[in-house]
Amino acid sequence: MEITREIFWNVGSWVRWPVYGLGLLVVIIFILGLVKRFRLWRIGKPDIRNDQILKRIGTVLSYGLFHKRILKEPYPGIMHLFIFWGFLFLLIGTALIFLQEDFTRLIFDKVFIQGSFYLTFSFILDLFGLMAIIGVLLAAFRRYILKPERLDNKLEDAFGLLLIFLVLVTGFTNEGLRIAVTRPEFERYSFVGWEISKIFSSSEQAIASLKTAHVVCWWFHVLLAFTFIGYVAYSKLIHLITSPLNQFFRSLTPQGEIKPIPDIENQETFGVAKLQDFTWKQLLDTDACTRCGRCQDNCPAHLSGKPLSPKKVIQDLRNHLNQSAGNLKKQGGGQEETVPIGGNVILEDELWACTTCAACQEACPVFVQVIDKVVDLRRYLVLMESKFSPEVKLFFKNMETNSNPWTIGFATRADWAKDLNLKNLSENKEVEYLLWVGCSGSFDERNRKVSRSLVSLLQKAGVSFGILGSEEMCCGETARRMGNEYLAQILMQQNIELFSNYGIKKIITLCPHCFNTFKNEYHQFGGNYRVFHYSELLLNLYQEGKLKWKTGIEMKAAYHDSCYLGRHNGIYNAPRMLLNSLPDTKVVEMKRNRAKSFCCGAGGGRMWMEETLGKRINQLRVEQIAATGASVVATACPYCLTMLEDGIKEKGLEKGLSVLDITEILDKAC
Amino acid sequence: MAKEILVIAEQKDGRLKKISFELLCIGKKLADKIGGTVSILLLGYQVDKLAEELDGYGAQKILAVDSEALKNYTNESYAKAIVEVVKIRHPEILLGGATASGKDLFPRVAARLQTGLASDCTSLDISPEGLLLAQRPIFAGKILVDAIIPEARPQIATLRPNVLPAAEKGSQKSEIEKIPVEIKPMDLKAILKETVKTAGERIDLTEASVIVSGGRGMASQENFKILEELASAFGEGTAVGASRSAVDSGFAPHDIQVGQTGKVVNPNLYIACGISGSIQHLAGMRTSKYIVAVNKDPEAPIFQLADCGIVADLFKIVPLLTEEVKKIKAQQ
Amino acid sequence: MDVIVCLKQVPDTETKIKINPEGTGIVTEGIKYVMNPYDEYAVEEALKIKEKFGGTVTIISMGPARVVDAIRNALAMGADEGVHLNDPAFEGSDSFTTAKILSKVIKDMKYDLILTGKQAMDFDCSQVFGCLAELLELPYVSVVTGLEISADGKTAIAKRETEGGVEEIIQMPLPAVVAAQKGLNEPRYASLPGIMKAKKKVIKEINLTTLGMTASEVGEAGSKMKTKNFQLPPERKAGKKIEGEPPEAVKEIVRMLHDEAKLI
Repeated sequence: MEITREIFWNVGSWVRWPVYGLGLLVVIIFILGLVKRFRLWRIGKPDIRNDQILKRIGTVLSYGLFHKRILKEPYPGIMHLFIFWGFLFLLIGTALIFLQEDFTRLIFDKVFIQGSFYLTFSFILDLFGLMAIIGVLLAAFRRYILKPERLDNKLEDAFGLLLIFLVLVTGFTNEGLRIAVTRPEFERYSFVGWEISKIFSSSEQAIASLKTAHVVCWWFHVLLAFTFIGYVAYSKLIHLITSPLNQFFRSLTPQGEIKPIPDIENQETFGVAKLQDFTWKQLLDTDACTRCGRCQDNCPAHLSGKPLSPKKVIQDLRNHLNQSAGNLKKQGGGQEETVPIGGNVILEDELWACTTCAACQEACPVFVQVIDKVVDLRRYLVLMESKFSPEVKLFFKNMETNSNPWTIGFATRADWAKDLNLKNLSENKEVEYLLWVGCSGSFDERNRKVSRSLVSLLQKAGVSFGILGSEEMCCGETARRMGNEYLAQILMQQNIELFSNYGIKKIITLCPHCFNTFKNEYHQFGGNYRVFHYSELLLNLYQEGKLKWKTGIEMKAAYHDSCYLGRHNGIYNAPRMLLNSLPDTKVVEMKRNRAKSFCCGAGGGRMWMEETLGKRINQLRVEQIAATGASVVATACPYCLTMLEDGIKEKGLEKGLSVLDITEILDKAC
Repeated sequence: MAKEILVIAEQKDGRLKKISFELLCIGKKLADKIGGTVSILLLGYQVDKLAEELDGYGAQKILAVDSEALKNYTNESYAKAIVEVVKIRHPEILLGGATASGKDLFPRVAARLQTGLASDCTSLDISPEGLLLAQRPIFAGKILVDAIIPEARPQIATLRPNVLPAAEKGSQKSEIEKIPVEIKPMDLKAILKETVKTAGERIDLTEASVIVSGGRGMASQENFKILEELASAFGEGTAVGASRSAVDSGFAPHDIQVGQTGKVVNPNLYIACGISGSIQHLAGMRTSKYIVAVNKDPEAPIFQLADCGIVADLFKIVPLLTEEVKKIKAQQ
Repeated sequence: MDVIVCLKQVPDTETKIKINPEGTGIVTEGIKYVMNPYDEYAVEEALKIKEKFGGTVTIISMGPARVVDAIRNALAMGADEGVHLNDPAFEGSDSFTTAKILSKVIKDMKYDLILTGKQAMDFDCSQVFGCLAELLELPYVSVVTGLEISADGKTAIAKRETEGGVEEIIQMPLPAVVAAQKGLNEPRYASLPGIMKAKKKVIKEINLTTLGMTASEVGEAGSKMKTKNFQLPPERKAGKKIEGEPPEAVKEIVRMLHDEAKLI
């Protein structure tokens, strides 16, 4: 007996023609759906995303095909992997059958799915089909029994899962019925169908009814499969297309970089008021989102009970896009929207709650970006409508007059260094590094201690450096993230001018926020420098033997990752290696560490705003620190230091837990 | 005729204000230096009794303009009266108080007389040339300057209250003279409709002259009562504030928070109780003119800013301080 | 309603002020200038009135070229026109002379209300509003924390802050001069389109000749009051830390508050 099967067994090969007809119709429906979405994205502004093609393909392969991020969470990861790979193999199997029946057999009378290949083919398809069923069941169990907070249930979720489930089940039933009637021994390889076939009686009398059942079930299967294909383009299943697309077009610039408003002096509107003000990629983001909720599971604003959820922001934008679809005719045109998005579609409280910590972006399997949208919407509120809280206004005013966040005169910026015998660049510019102190390190009494420790370490290591003294201004990082791009650009350009006057090439920063801005954003205005966060530099100095520890520091320290050092710039190891290099110091990790680290609550300008909604983010982080039993939490960022110290006091934990900057710990040992 | 120094008395609701006596005291000193006399001008309605009260404080003459139009202070009616008196008396120097009404009134007087005005002076003297030498703080007290009015007469200056001593009652009698001045309704464009006492003694933090503020060291909401009592002891124009950590701990409402993200205040006196002094807090109160800090921790950063710091338990200090302040206020 | 706002550019209150070696003035280098904070309230109030009643807001300021920044700032907030009184001869004008120059410009303008700050945070004279009103023969109210213009635009009611938590409610016919105090409003932050528009606006410049005055009438020469001998106040004593028993410590605080600070 030949080891293969008759493809149109029982239903007759004539069905090919109505199936093709239906198939064509479904493909047209599918394409029409995609075109509709495509047109919606096209209303956005241009953005060049076709550089570095190989890297982009690589992203799709590793993050799409191989689930690099999805698998970071085991349950949902495996669940999705099973469904995805199951369907992928079924798709390949179906495609092979199509190839055989409509090309090789029709034209060359060649059947290649036979013999041992047929057996392997049957086995693999059954295996992956079964995996897909398990995946769907896992998904249903999770969604409807476990009900994690981050999943919101819509009818389309249930419909989608049911559809997939039925397609799979009817497929296997078909196979079972066929095997029940034909009973070739080799079909044991189609192990799922084989087991199902046992359910059916194979008596002579039953065969007729099994055959009828097969025809019905077969059609049912085909119609369901076609419904599925058509449905993809009109439901969240569109992520089959949009997610890989979004991975392909992902941002390849540093996560910490915020795009400038180009030629700001000659623009008429600023920031995003309406959908057309977004780029096409930003709109594609909204379609790529599958509402998986990993973002909000990591969002400090959401977890502390504030109205912001990154998922909600993206979904609200998507819904807005859908609702506006009728008004938006073709690209660029369409009716003007009457209300700006910020304050209406996305509420002001949501926009101001974001700490720009990037935990959401780091968690998103499909590279949806949130910070860019938050900043764009803030820009509109700030630059066009001057809508912000009084404390934000105070911040802007202080920046304008004294280039620091406080109402403190700019002339006193270097007062902290008065007795340190430091050279200003104006006195001696023949130094290797500029030590950029930053506002906190210059004015805040607590962080001035950190500045002094860093100076002491650099001096001990014999580093040639100078400071700008009272010529230093704010780097512009915070104003930019608060949406005041104009103020930020003024500060940035003034600093760049100052740097070029002194011929500065290498910069050491105390603060990761300054670090990020110099490193990732100053190039936008022609400022290119080698920028070091002190942790990198000190580690180098230690490894080169220029810094030596005289004593150990006996303590159990937890290291708190700064968002702008870690997630935004990938510096996770240097601070840990420095701490670990100290004899007697034991470094412990918090549950949320490295890329999953939890923000202190100060980023994105939140440092300067009142935190009236929900719990306090810094207190949540302090709870996480306290859970490690550490006696010291080591920081490498002045904002984190301030926030955590406040949090510890607020929680009344100051007796057993203190905050020290890494420089302070190292200086004690040095 | 001897040169006259004319000082303007200030009264409210039938009571003479302390500044009137401070002006008399310095007026007398200046008069002695230029070999002249000092007179005091009292403006108001039915002020006979007040005129008598001024007797014996060193003024040679007590001049009174008594008119119903002067019952309430308005800059138009008062300026009219003063200018009319100046036209009669031709004083060499005219002195007033840099009080709420003085600051409002004298610009009009000076402009009408086409002369100079040295406002809000903290010291008054006579220059070697015999001119009024008025020292006044500028740039919020960061700098002092001397002001002189070389030619125009009278030389006008307003004196900041509470910086110079008040005249003591002596034996020398003063002569009371009433000067009739006609103030027509057409002279008065702006009319005082009413005066409103703002609710209670407490006023808005940003406008308070004395602020008593509590931090996390207050330990509970109930304990803020002792700060209320201390603030009350200082009288009117006082307010109670709180640091962010006190607000966060639920000891005080958010609207009394002082600091970067709360209210930015600038009182004459700021008493910080149990506040360590994070930069967030300091940013909101560092321009206060006098800062008293009470804190157990001698290392608290607030002490670096404080004019007067007490390293002690605030719960022992604050009630005692309240008592002492009350005692002094009662004497005044 | 056409509103005129007289404003001044002053050093930021945080600026370190240094005295020149001759003691005749301050060192102007390294100073960060801002719009006088009280004048900001005046500008904001003018803009609010314009929003309610229509009309124009004109900014007038006197001083050297740098003053244009302050005028543009007010234009960026939403004012319509700017007038810059710029002539070296104007330098050193006292309050009276400043008011005289302002009155000379204003008397030929069409206006219903003049707004300004209650004092400039540099020389702290607190006089221009009163002198100006007197020279224009107008009523004025100073230290204003509330302003209500009648529906017909003919009268205004102002709330004026006095001592001891007492406020005066004053009614006056318009035009009048109103000097703003903190609390009158919350000045807006200029929008970026506003800033861009303001950059393009032409600011009318008036000098001594176009003003029609002579050098002897203005500046230091025309001033009634002369300022000299700039000096630093006695250095503020470093904070005193009192330790010891509470009763003694309290006595010491009270003594300091009474004798040294003169606060009670």
